[in-house]
Amino acid sequence: MDEFQAEDETTFVVEEVSKIIKESVEATIGGNTYQHNRVNQWTTNVVEQCLSQLSKLGKPFKYIVTCVIMQKNGAGLQTANACFWDNTTDGSCAVRWENKSMYCIVTVFGLAI
Amino acid sequence: HHSMSALMLQLYFSQDELIKELRQTLNATIGGEDYNKDQVNKWTAAILERCISDLCKLGKQYKYIVTCAVTQKTGAGLHAANSCFWDTALDGSCTVKWENRTMYCIVSVFALSIA
Repeated sequence: MDEFQAEDETTFVVEEVSKIIKESVEATIGGNTYQHNRVNQWTTNVVEQCLSQLSKLGKPFKYIVTCVIMQKNGAGLQTANACFWDNTTDGSCAVRWENKSMYCIVTVFGLAI
Repeated sequence: HHSMSALMLQLYFSQDELIKELRQTLNATIGGEDYNKDQVNKWTAAILERCISDLCKLGKQYKYIVTCAVTQKTGAGLHAANSCFWDTALDGSCTVKWENRTMYCIVSVFALSIA
């Protein structure tokens, strides 16, 4: 039982990170309409909130958080990423969120120290 | 700024060198193309593959994350941001914004020391 708990404290748990991302996005832009003069603040807030919650997990990880917000007007958007890391310890989680006026894509990369 | 240049000295001779290589990769893969939703998947994969390959060839003690976003030019607003929780002395990142007539491409490289 102790061994199982210890493992949870040092691994990248996708569900846990996904929840953090969704909460950060909802809190920042949930219910908002795309506005050019506010989007700068929004992306900053989303990544900062995510990082704050992630570091509170107290796990031995470095984190990279990326956030893209795009206005919905029919333009195509493709995002992709590649990682050169340790497959046994590192992980990532991407969340795609949208409302009527915009898309928001957040990705968290966790790299074990 | 001091820590950033220390990293880049280990990774490359200068950040400009890395940016130059990223631009060359983009010019070579999508320079002459028009945005095409059926091809964009293939393009981003090719871009990422070349970037990771070039970085690994440096043989440095780093893990790498490379992100790539391609968007069609239609006037839509696009904003991207990133934030990192890492070793401020040894880790670093670099972002390149590129465009041609029909699309924008943003590539970010994050280097995290293992040492």
